[in-house]
Amino acid sequence: MFGGLREKLMAARQRLGGSIEAAVAKAETEEGAVPAPESPSPVAAPPQKSPSPPSTPSFVERVRVLITERELIVSENDLDEALSELEMTLLESDVALPATDAIIASVQKNLVGRHRKIGESVDALVVNALKGALLDVLGSGFDLKEYITKHERPVKILFTGVNGTGKTTTVAKIGYYLKKEGFTVVIGAGDTYRAGAIEQISVHAERIGIKVIQHQEGADPSAVLFDAVQYAQSHKLDVVLADTAGRFHNKANLMSQLEKIKRVMKPDLVVYVDEAVAGNDAVTRAFEFDKTVGADAVVLTKADMDSRGGAAISIAHTIGKPLMFLGVGQAYDDILPFEPAKVVDELLDCGT
Amino acid sequence: MADRNAPMDQNELMTLQNYLQEYGQQAEIFVQQLQMLENGRLEAHAAIESLEEMLAANGGAVLLQIGGGASVRAKVVEPEKVLIAIGSEVIVERSNKDAIDFLKERIMEMEASQKKVAETLDRLRAQMNEINKRIESGYQQAMAAGQNLG
Repeated sequence: MFGGLREKLMAARQRLGGSIEAAVAKAETEEGAVPAPESPSPVAAPPQKSPSPPSTPSFVERVRVLITERELIVSENDLDEALSELEMTLLESDVALPATDAIIASVQKNLVGRHRKIGESVDALVVNALKGALLDVLGSGFDLKEYITKHERPVKILFTGVNGTGKTTTVAKIGYYLKKEGFTVVIGAGDTYRAGAIEQISVHAERIGIKVIQHQEGADPSAVLFDAVQYAQSHKLDVVLADTAGRFHNKANLMSQLEKIKRVMKPDLVVYVDEAVAGNDAVTRAFEFDKTVGADAVVLTKADMDSRGGAAISIAHTIGKPLMFLGVGQAYDDILPFEPAKVVDELLDCGT
Repeated sequence: MADRNAPMDQNELMTLQNYLQEYGQQAEIFVQQLQMLENGRLEAHAAIESLEEMLAANGGAVLLQIGGGASVRAKVVEPEKVLIAIGSEVIVERSNKDAIDFLKERIMEMEASQKKVAETLDRLRAQMNEINKRIESGYQQAMAAGQNLG
């Protein structure tokens, strides 16, 4: 998953580290070139506070710190080129511009002005800065199990998104995941529009042993999903998973149908489903969907086929809604709850 | 696990038909995805060829396709500078050589993705074949049973 991005981030990590190492070497050379400091007083004076902001340490200050404290202050200039390369790397990986800007700003803020003790691992410094920046952008994820546990049952989850992104399969996968976690689930076959959709969800439901509520093709999806909620209430089930037909946000009639579904079934969560391989398009579509009908969380499918990882990195930051799951294959258990710390560790190869 | 030699009833046959349909729909999506990747790959190759030709023209005229099979002779003002979409709707100016390197890298990425999608498609098709065989043998069993009854 996201192999291309991982490789590029590794290169960026080395490049940033190399820039800092070069700054150390340069400062050490300069140290030899300046006049020796006056003989030290018996009691070391506390280091003077620099009058200039930490991002622009003067040459004299850098050398002074190097001599008296054996530290180096990383300056903006030291990182200029490496940060610019990191920016290109992120954009080329389809990370949205606002997310890229946020990552660069965070790395810069964390590294520039840092008093790095000589001997302290440069790589650790860089990895921590990258880690912090990526975690800020990825948000905290969405723990569905915890949400269901703390929420009044049945928890009603409505799945929306454009056509052909794997929404119905995702509903089945989440159903399977929740069942494995000990929750009782019913699926509402709310995609009454696409030929074969009801059969598709019924086949899935049968295979994973979950009850599906269905009407005939062309029926009102609001009525189907209302029945699914009624069924869950009367059978005291934990979760209703509501499948719906794929639609684009600019199709007024389909969007008003979605509004009606929301009015009738009153979902607790609206989950937007799209494919990771769509990259920045998925981010733009999620943004539009959120603006039109609202979304509480996002699921990205086909993440196993996405080497760039742009959508996964940017979606939470761009639309301000957490990423809940990543679809990573064809089997029912090929769905991973999105855990930002784990993803970042994988991307930066910090296997913990 | 179900006994593969046991006679198949009508419900089991229908379920298998549904599986087949479901797999068929999934396979169709992957085929579309493969086609999109292939189009992207060919487009990138064509762009590389054009960039190389522009340099080789050395300020001379090149043929510029304007769609519908029509072309015009055109002189590129700055063949050394290329504006290229690098992703996330961001366009940057690169040298001709850097743009070609970027496109080559993209081609490699697309080929890697194609490989993954093709592998998934192969797996799906293998499963579909398996189901097809089951359905076929089910029909044969049903027909044989019908003949015996008759």
